[in-house]
This record gives sequence, structure tokens and C-alpha cells, in this order.
Amino acid sequence: MADLRLRGIAKSFGATEVLRDVELEVADGEFVVLVGPSGCGKSTLLRIVAGLEKQSAGDIEIGGANVNAVPAADRGLAMVFQSYALYPHMTVYKNMAFALENTRMPKEQITARVREAAAMLRLGELLERKPAQLSGGQRQRVAIGRAMVREPKVFLFDEPLSNLDAELRVAMRKELATLHASIKATMVFVTHDQTEAMTLADRIVVMRAGVLEQIGRPLDVYNHPANLFVAGFIGSPRMNFFAAAAEGGRLRLAAGGMMDAPPGIALADGAKVTVGVRPEHVAIGTAAGCDPFAGAVEINEQLGGESYLYCGCGLEEQVVVHSPGQNELRVGDRIELALPPGRAHVFDGDGKVVRPA
Amino acid sequence: MRQRLRELAALPWLLAMRALDRPFRLLQRGIGQGGMPYFFLVPNLLFFGTFVILPLLVNAAYSLTGGTELFLEDRPWIGAEHFGHLFACGDLLDPATCREDNFWRAIYNSMKFVTLQVGFMVALSLLTALVLNRKIRARGFFRAVFFFPVLLSPVVVALIWKWVLHRDGVLNALLESLGGDKILFFIDPGWAMFWAIFVSIWAHMGFYTLILLAGLQAIPPDLYEAAEMDGTSKTRTLWRITLPMLWPNLVVVIVLAMIKSVQTFDEVFVLTGGGPGTATQLIVQYIYDTGFASQVQNFGLAAAASYVLAVILIALTVIYIALAFRPDAKHA
Repeated sequence: MADLRLRGIAKSFGATEVLRDVELEVADGEFVVLVGPSGCGKSTLLRIVAGLEKQSAGDIEIGGANVNAVPAADRGLAMVFQSYALYPHMTVYKNMAFALENTRMPKEQITARVREAAAMLRLGELLERKPAQLSGGQRQRVAIGRAMVREPKVFLFDEPLSNLDAELRVAMRKELATLHASIKATMVFVTHDQTEAMTLADRIVVMRAGVLEQIGRPLDVYNHPANLFVAGFIGSPRMNFFAAAAEGGRLRLAAGGMMDAPPGIALADGAKVTVGVRPEHVAIGTAAGCDPFAGAVEINEQLGGESYLYCGCGLEEQVVVHSPGQNELRVGDRIELALPPGRAHVFDGDGKVVRPA
Repeated sequence: MRQRLRELAALPWLLAMRALDRPFRLLQRGIGQGGMPYFFLVPNLLFFGTFVILPLLVNAAYSLTGGTELFLEDRPWIGAEHFGHLFACGDLLDPATCREDNFWRAIYNSMKFVTLQVGFMVALSLLTALVLNRKIRARGFFRAVFFFPVLLSPVVVALIWKWVLHRDGVLNALLESLGGDKILFFIDPGWAMFWAIFVSIWAHMGFYTLILLAGLQAIPPDLYEAAEMDGTSKTRTLWRITLPMLWPNLVVVIVLAMIKSVQTFDEVFVLTGGGPGTATQLIVQYIYDTGFASQVQNFGLAAAASYVLAVILIALTVIYIALAFRPDAKHA
């Protein structure tokens, strides 16, 4: 295993700049997830690390060695593709052994490695089957097995769960987490699914338009988003945003009423800001330091153990409110909502979070 | 008001449709709904029957009757005598020992022609497809260039090459200008067969290149990236990834090319006339010569020989269908 360092990575396709000055360090044994919307450059970044794409500028170091000029095969990495990229004419065994055969490793050693990985991934019974005879989950495990037998310095995963159905995706997520815990390998995982990012990562890297927006532990990113984009992207349902203006040390909400500024945050009078509050923090009824405002229930999603209320408050977007357990509310019912200042995030006119002084 | 206008505007259309419907309604009343599909099949059945089934039956009748008369009622029944004549050989490997030695010479010429033409053509098509599949400059232009001869009529192809290879043709003029001697390409049996095969490959290669190119482009690029990550050399990638993935297409191309090659007639006939002697006379030309071009037009023997050819083609077609439509043809 090894650490991975990216220094000033940039990539352009013609006049289109897809990555800008990417700086990232992945520690030995760390599980880092690159997350962002489609087209943000996360897969391109992974392919640059893999050596399948050449960066326009910047350096890549693996285990302390610069690998800019090292071909993909010699970087000591293994990649799991979104499509699995299994060789359809080869058996599971042959798929897993193929890379090792390329290195002219003795046959007994290849067999031992393949069988060990197959046992770990519960593929022992499937070694003589071809990929077409496997389920999506089994194919996924073969793709991971193919990467494992190479004993790479770093594992790269390019949206490996996106072709699976919801149930299988959850199961594979757990398997990947267990696998990482058992082999303690350095892993870089690309996804557009923030739930995958939150559940798998030691650290999350949130990307947008070729730029790293925020790097941090999943809960740090969730609790302390660096800007409006991260606040909106991480968390499901997304954070509620309210336009507001500073007035005498307090905030006047466009939804109506006033609220205290979050503790430690001082704003100049008249400053236009955005207040962000996660659905689970919006209070039904009253909250200290905030005038309640009215909302009408438009959708009531009752999930059994919890509920989500989508309320119309005269704003452009509905306000989403999470409430534990079940409720008796019906569509059209009017309720009062309030935003607890201690749970609110404030973003300035540029969308950057305003930190407490 | 607007509704009325709309109805009025649609009236001509409605009347036209009603007029078109009427004969079909009447017909359906007569033959029933179940008979309608057969009614629509009639034109095709008539065409197929007239130009395929009927000639097959007439051909069978000719092969089983003797004499030189054209009309079947004037021809005496001789059973399988023509087939016996074709297969009467002292040694099947030596045409000289056969009663109908020209038939066996044509069979062996065809075998030589098919083996070399198909072998080289498939190899060259594969090579060309592999090159054209790469990101080379002017790829579209080269694809068009290789496909262009396919669009030409076989007779035009043969005439172009005859102009090149003739005693006083372009190639000999070139040889002479370089200080060499003229070569009589159509007098030397070896050269004649070489050019017959060469011209046939030139004319048809583009079609098979296109099929193989489509096969190559259907291979997911991810597989090549996975192979690259696995440290697979270019040669090993070709043998272990590209060719196995292309194999279903390759098999179809080989069998299809064999079927077409066995049927070759016009190109070689116009180019060499089957000569020198019978050195390039293929099986279809033998049938043509025996039935129509010889002094004594032996329709019966030609018909029997065409049935032998049909058996060969049916066998190849069965192989083609079995391979092309097998369930795992695409590793799916």
C-alpha cells in the first residue's frame, strides 16, 4: 500500500478546461471518495491517476515517487470500472488471473492468489463461469477480485455501484466497507451518489466544474459545508435555503419575520446573505431567537419511522422539514415553522460560508 | 363553428380512405380475416415461385433427362445417369482419370481459388480493419477508398484489370519502362490464377473490412483500458482480447466469403475466360460452358453439376446459419 499525492493537476480537452489546480493527498490505507455532479471532472481525475489520461499540468506521486511518465500498468494501481470491464470470453478465474499471467508469475502462485481473493469475495463456486452467467453483484465482486489479486498500491473505483439496483447497491456498499476494513488498502472511489460518499469515505472530496470545493471527513463536510454548493449537494433531502438581509445584528428573512444571527456571526447592516438550515433542524412551531413563519403542507412523505413535509411558504422552493416518527398532518394543513439560529448556516453573497468570529 | 370547419377540411381525406378501404373490406368478407395474411403474401410467393422454385424443379428435370433437345417433353428420361457420369473417376484426386475431367478440374480450380482467395482476403480485411480502427489521419477517406471497389460491377472490375494486365496493358508498359520484359499474364497458368484471385480480393475486400470494422468498434473500450491497467502488451491484447471478441464476426465473414467465392463467375470469366486452357475455369463457368457455350449444349450434365454446386452451397449456408445465429454468438 502507498499514499497518493496530486499537485496542481490540470486538464484541458482543447479549449475546455475540465480540471483546475487540483491538490489532494490520500494517506496510506485511507478511503477517499471523490463526489460531485456529472461532468465535474471526478472520473477524469481518476483516469489521470490511473495513467489512462495524461494531465495537462501537475504532478502525481504514488508512494513518494513521481509517476507522471510511468505507464498505467507500471504505476502499481488497479481500477474497478463502472461497466466492470470483465473479459466476456474468459471465465471468472481467467479474468482474475489475466493480469498476473502478464507478469509471467508462476502458475501455482497465480492459482493461490486467485483462490484467496475468490474466497474473500465468495466467488469460489463461480470460478469456471463466464461473466454473462453472473448477476450484477457477482460481476462487481469479480471486478474487485481482479483488482485485489494484483495487490496494488492503490485501488481506484470509477462509479462501480451505479449499474446495480438499489438493494444490491446497499449490500455492495457494506461489502466494500468490510473489504476496506479487512485489507486496509488505499482506495480512491468516484461517485455522484452522496450517500455512497457519506457511508464509505474516511474523507470526502466534493468537486464542481473541475475544482475541489471541500475536502473533509463526511460529518465535517455535512455539518460545516464550505459553501452553498457543498451545503446543497451533501445531504438528502438537500439543505433549505432562505434569502435574508442583516438588520441590527439580526437577520430579516424573505419568508417573513426576523431571526437571530447564528452565535458568533457578525454581519454588516444591509448585507444580503443566504441562510441554510437542514430539514432535520427546521422546527415545527417555535424556536428561540426566530419569529415563526407560516407554511402549508403540500406533500407529506411518511416513511414509517420518519416523515418529510414539503411546505409552501411563499418562496421559490418548498421548505423541506424532517420530523421523527409519524404525523397526522394532511395536505393543505397550515403549520408554523421556525429556524433555530444555532443550527443555521450563513452564506455570503459569493456563496461562501460565514464562519463565527 | 371551428369544429364544423375542421370536419369539412377532413372530408376529402375521409372519402379517399373509404375508397381505398372498400376493396379490402370486400375481399376480407370473401376470404375471411384468416385468409388476409396469405393474400398479402401472394405477390412474393409468385415472384419466389417463378424465379426460384420453378427453375429448381426445371433444373432437376433437365438433370434427370438426356439428349440435346431444349424442351423437356422431347428429352428422354435417363435417371441419375448424369450424376454417375460426373462421379465416374478412377482416382478422385486425379481429374485425368475421370470421365468428365473438366468438371473435376473446375472443382479443383474452385477449391484452390476459394482457399487462397478467402484466406488472403479475410487476413487482409482483418489487417485493414485493425488499421482503420485506429485513430489515424483521414480515417474516413481511407474507409471510403477501401469500400469503393465493392460498388463496382464485377464486369467493370474485370475490364479495368484486363486493361492493366493485358499484353500491351498498363502494367507491362510500366515493366518495360523499368527495363523489364513483358509478362503474358493470361498465358501463364500460374499468373492467370494469381490475378484472378488478386482481382477478386481487390473487388470484395472492402465489404468484409466493413463487417470486421463494425465488429471491432463494438468491442467496449473499457476492455482495452482494463487490459492496459493489467499491463497487457499490444500483441497479447490482439490475441487475447481483440481476436476472441471479434471471433463471431470473423467466423461469419469466413463462411460468407466462402459462399460468395464458390459462386464466383463473371469477374474471372471476363478477366481470363477460364484460361489458359482450363487453368482458371471455376465450377460455375464449367456449368455455363457445358450448358450454353460448348458446341454440343449438354443441358442435362450442366443441370446435374449445378445440383452438386447447390449441395456445396447449402452445406456452407447451414454452417453460416448455425454460427451466425447461435445464442452465444456475441458472448451475451
